[in-house]
Amino acid sequence: MSEERRDSAMQGSPEPLPHAGVEIDEPKFADKSYSQGQLVRRRFFRHKGALAGLAVLILITLLAFTSIGIGPLPGWWDKDFTTTGSVINGGRPTMGWFYLGEHPFGQDTTGRDYFAMVMRGTQISLVIAFTVGILSTIIGTLIGAIAGYYRGWTESLLMRVTDLFIIIPLLVFAAVLGQIAGGAGIFALAVALAFVTWTGLARLVRGEVLSLREREFVSAAQAIGTGSWRIIMRHILPNTIGVIIVATTFAIASAILLETSLSFLGFGVQPPDISLGSLISDYQTAFTSRPWLFWFPGLFILAIALSVNFIGDGLRDAFDPRQGKDG
Amino acid sequence: MTRYILRRLAISFGVLFVGSFLLYIMVINSGDPLEDLRQSTASNRDVLIQGRIDTMGLDLPWYQRYWDWLTGVAGCFTGNCDLGTDQTGTDVLSMLEQAATATLRLVTIATFAAIIIGIIVGILTAIRQYSGFDYAVTFLTFLFFSLPVFWAAVLLKEYGAIRFNDWIADPQISVLQAFIVGAVLAFILQAVMGGSMRRRLFTAGATGAFSVIALLYFTYVGWWRSPALGPVIVILVSLAFAVGLVALFAGLGKRRVLYATLTTVGVGSVLYFALAPLLEEPNWWLLLGLLVSAVVVGLVVGYFWGGYSRGQAMAMSAITAVFMAGMTFADHLVYAWHGFLELKPRPISTIGASTPNFQGDFWETTLDWGTQLILPTILLTLISVATYSRYTRSSMLETMNQDYVRTARSKGLSERTVITKHAFRNALIPITTIIALDFAALIGGAVITETVFGWNGMGAMFREGLDHVDPNPVMAFFLVTGTAAVVMNLVADLAYASLDPRIRR
Amino acid sequence: MTIIDETPAQPVQGGAVLSFTDLEIKFNTEFGRVHAVKGITLEVNPGEVLALVGESGSGKSVTSTSALGLLPRNATVNGAISVAGKSVDSMSDRSLRKMRGDDVAMVFQEPMTALNPVLTVRTQMIEALELHGKAYGKDAEARAVELLTMVGIPDPERRIKQYPHEFSGGQRQRIVIAMALSCDPTVIIADEPTTALDVTVQAEILDLLRSLKDELNTGILLITHSMGVVADMADRVAVMYKGDLVEQGSAQEVLTRPQHEYTKRLLEAVPKLGSRGETAPVVQEEGPKALEVHDLVVEYHRQGKEPFRAVDGVSLSVKRGEIVGLVGESGSGKSTIARCALGLIPAASGEVAILGEDITQMSRKPLKELRRRIGVVFQDPASSLNPRLPVGDCIAEPMDVHSIGDSKSRREKVAELLDAVELPRSVANRYPHELSGGQRQRVSIARALSLDPEFLVADEPTSALDVSVQASVLKMFTHLQEQYNFGCLFVSHDLAVIDMLADHVVVLKDGKVVEQGARHKVLADPQEEYTKRLLMAAPVPDPAEQRARREQRYAFMKEIGEEDHGLHIEHDDSARGNGPNQPFNSSGLGGLAGGH
Repeated sequence: MSEERRDSAMQGSPEPLPHAGVEIDEPKFADKSYSQGQLVRRRFFRHKGALAGLAVLILITLLAFTSIGIGPLPGWWDKDFTTTGSVINGGRPTMGWFYLGEHPFGQDTTGRDYFAMVMRGTQISLVIAFTVGILSTIIGTLIGAIAGYYRGWTESLLMRVTDLFIIIPLLVFAAVLGQIAGGAGIFALAVALAFVTWTGLARLVRGEVLSLREREFVSAAQAIGTGSWRIIMRHILPNTIGVIIVATTFAIASAILLETSLSFLGFGVQPPDISLGSLISDYQTAFTSRPWLFWFPGLFILAIALSVNFIGDGLRDAFDPRQGKDG
Repeated sequence: MTRYILRRLAISFGVLFVGSFLLYIMVINSGDPLEDLRQSTASNRDVLIQGRIDTMGLDLPWYQRYWDWLTGVAGCFTGNCDLGTDQTGTDVLSMLEQAATATLRLVTIATFAAIIIGIIVGILTAIRQYSGFDYAVTFLTFLFFSLPVFWAAVLLKEYGAIRFNDWIADPQISVLQAFIVGAVLAFILQAVMGGSMRRRLFTAGATGAFSVIALLYFTYVGWWRSPALGPVIVILVSLAFAVGLVALFAGLGKRRVLYATLTTVGVGSVLYFALAPLLEEPNWWLLLGLLVSAVVVGLVVGYFWGGYSRGQAMAMSAITAVFMAGMTFADHLVYAWHGFLELKPRPISTIGASTPNFQGDFWETTLDWGTQLILPTILLTLISVATYSRYTRSSMLETMNQDYVRTARSKGLSERTVITKHAFRNALIPITTIIALDFAALIGGAVITETVFGWNGMGAMFREGLDHVDPNPVMAFFLVTGTAAVVMNLVADLAYASLDPRIRR
Repeated sequence: MTIIDETPAQPVQGGAVLSFTDLEIKFNTEFGRVHAVKGITLEVNPGEVLALVGESGSGKSVTSTSALGLLPRNATVNGAISVAGKSVDSMSDRSLRKMRGDDVAMVFQEPMTALNPVLTVRTQMIEALELHGKAYGKDAEARAVELLTMVGIPDPERRIKQYPHEFSGGQRQRIVIAMALSCDPTVIIADEPTTALDVTVQAEILDLLRSLKDELNTGILLITHSMGVVADMADRVAVMYKGDLVEQGSAQEVLTRPQHEYTKRLLEAVPKLGSRGETAPVVQEEGPKALEVHDLVVEYHRQGKEPFRAVDGVSLSVKRGEIVGLVGESGSGKSTIARCALGLIPAASGEVAILGEDITQMSRKPLKELRRRIGVVFQDPASSLNPRLPVGDCIAEPMDVHSIGDSKSRREKVAELLDAVELPRSVANRYPHELSGGQRQRVSIARALSLDPEFLVADEPTSALDVSVQASVLKMFTHLQEQYNFGCLFVSHDLAVIDMLADHVVVLKDGKVVEQGARHKVLADPQEEYTKRLLMAAPVPDPAEQRARREQRYAFMKEIGEEDHGLHIEHDDSARGNGPNQPFNSSGLGGLAGGH
């Protein structure tokens, strides 16, 4: 079968012009041709899980940022996450099927509005997760590309550093760094976490680069005198974009879990800042008396991580149709 | 090969050394070790501070402290280990011994369970790609990937332990509940088995009917509080296992293999009765000895039955023997459940690694262990199962597309042989590496699980050490995870070489 | 050797062993329904070789796979297929499996991947025997050893315990054939069995297959794209084009008097050895030669082992305006020389001078300057163009790197080059994956010419292409070479291609030059044994001529004392596979090498 699919040049001489070239394996190409980007988009939008994930993620992000506002910008929700007040009705959630009520997610023990607190936690968790995801992608891509292309000592060094991260569990590394950086605000924490999470991607990119540099178009570029940097940036990295985007997505999902885990252990976001993890940590013992304090932040973490994971799965299918339907 | 492994080991220890240095420096700079004392209002505050400075060597320069720690560790190679003391002056080595046993037990059991379940689920989803079952498992794996461990742990405590303990006090299953459980099981099993509509309906019907009847019967006879398997069930299940094993991996056409496993079950049945008095109050060494003899019996039976397929017969008989030994063990354990409930009315624990002041016979103590272990194990297993099943699935799908699988099919081999003999062995190669590398990470991940379940394991040691800016417990934790990682890396290399003839040197 | 009858072999008993009637196969794909096979009718008789010929995408592999019921799940099959008188389409899974291996066996194209890498040859050979109840345990092993002896694996008792990676490509294909033979199938489907092999190994495997049908009366469906293989093997030929059967008849008839337009075109496109007469040698003008390699050694370093010497003391030169053909089999070091001449891999010792400048001693800047004057075309059309760049950018890339011209002049140059390689100008905005293999190779050539190179390296530029596409690309290449008059190092494994193109030929073996000289001299009157063998092994697309060549080859092989490559079985052992302890004659069929 592979031979049938690989190449469909099926012409006699004189060779026909472009449109007639493909007959057996990609018949529609003849009428309408797709660019790589269009193909990816097409496949992504056919992945229902990914679409649902995207919708949920957008919804949560909008909710978190518009409700209580960002920094000086006010949101549409009239309460904030610091003001204490009297506890109404034991702090139970007032949310019903069709109305929000005074405190939709209830109140904590000191009477703070729990909806505002969860929104604040979501904001921080999202910001940290995306910062970590993007930063670690940049670090990982650069180091992976350099190690894979130049080989030699750069590569050995990278491999040893990766070994280091296998030997010191990620959580331990992150906890120690988090302990150091946690007090300095969420961006310091995000940078610290990015510093420990890039190795996986670096290994992945290195693997891709190692196989790409053996491809003939790279040899061709070298043969005509193209500089190394230009080869990496123009010929190699654009061809790893699929892998990178997919890995970034999964990195974001695991960053959410990493941050919340650290905050839960007390090494992540430090009070007065709130993250979804620290909310659970604070109220885990309240499960029997005030279960809502436990349920809402957990469900938000789950929803964010799940939707990001599904988006990642959709992207992987879109970029790598080998695993997709009908080969 | 040996040279290669030695080289890898040397590099790993080098990395371990660098890692220890980095970690030490980071830990001692992660905060102020005297913070709690500085804020204290105790009258002897200065004495306390001075005392801690002396125990922890805070007045020494950082390289001196690291050097002291390193020479202490180096002593381990000559037999006198010194991992230093924590801030209160307790010897870290003795702390570690206790903590490491608890943690390693947890992680090892979870890993083995996850490997078995994960690989089976992965293969099934690969075979049934794009079926409802595949989609359901895919969704569940994503759910487990996305689950905050600590959050899930609290849920598990509530529903797996507290509610279960309430229920076991007076176990009742209503007819409606039995039907719901039966329907769910029926649906799952027919999706796994697949096949034509008729076959699916039959599978579902049989499963549903069987589960409903079993559930109601068990409730009626009070099985939940005083269960027993008895020789009949042990022997029947072992027979079914033997036949299933042969059917799956050798094919029932290989009569000699089938007879070998059946003979093994026969010998096992005799031993079941013969050894019963011995198993009244055994110990672990005895059990281990019995397990080894079971393997030997299996091998011997396989050897004499084997004929032209001797190797296969020996392997299958040995596996059957081990399974039967396990069944016998389970039989005794299940039998002890009633007495155990008397001793401990709320069996599943949510806190700690063992019940304080628990007194019981061998089987009851084992049950106590098990009930302590079960929740954290489930939690760790679930997450690893998600990873392993996913890897197995994609690895299987990849190998199923290879040319040699097509060759195997073109010889007329059944799909079962193609999968178990040709595809699976190749798919196993990448999976081995991942599992080995994952083990060390799992110990790290156990930190959270231990925290939630209040285990006094290495996780607690690490967390408290880091909290108090106390390097020695943290470094002890690192030594264990690091060594485990190095060892598992080595295991991965060896497994790789044994699975893939191309890299044997 | 047995002589192949020109007329189709008579069905011996009970008619066809494999037949397709109105076979139609469709695939549901991401891009809609694909009609791969459009209603064809074919049959294979016992002891007959039917060659199914066509280029990639013609549906020939799909047809053969359907006979085993091994098509992927997204395929729908209409029409009747029968194997050994049994109808395949109505079979249950169980009887389908019983039929596979027992009645019909398959030999695949890629011997390197067709065997399971983690199981020993013994395990893989025994399982079919045990499955189909032919022999068990020790008996099965003895039978497997016997089969390996038959197909010419030396020392089979020991080697059967080895893993596939310990065998060479040709040996693996023999093992696959031995496996296919193990259950005495009535028909063997061989899907491009020699495409991945070197030409000398191909000749050996074809000898083996030929003896199968003679000795065992097996029917063979041979799928191939090579007209030479057809002429060498087939009794009858069926030509497929875009899923249709366009022509069917005896090999002699179809190859010498083709009726259908497509078959004619296909045959015309096959490069033929010796079709070009003597040509005048190229005279070097003033100045340095395009390429001068002196005593070149290239080594690959392997961890924990001796370095592997891929090129060992090679000297050759390319004059300006001359095409030098570098020919050799896989592993001969020809591509290594090409890459070394481009400065992509370092030389261990020796000199490489391009246009008079020694690149082994050069610093970066002048090297880049020199590279402006060199062009390169690689083999694989799938990977020789960056998939993320539109074709226009690919062609303009060298100008961009060397900062030549502005964007407008580059666009003009691109258009001009597209004209030169006979592609429409609109191609400039397309991405490589939208083009066919031949078109991509034309783009590669256009890119190589974009800086008007004085020296060009072409590393097997047409070997991944279908023969008709290859012909037009080669024609264009020759034309461009005359127009631009660059010196060219042309690497190929195909002697006929070299014959069409080159002025001077260098024959390589195991990293050493075996023979070199003017094209006509080397190819028409080779002096060295290796060159002779290479030339004799290359099949020509005319059954009568090919038969004569084959006889000549057998005579030559006898002369140099080489064993034949047919099936090694004893003739009077009528009950084959009866007993493992029966002695067999490993020297093979008595008159095989002597010819009849």
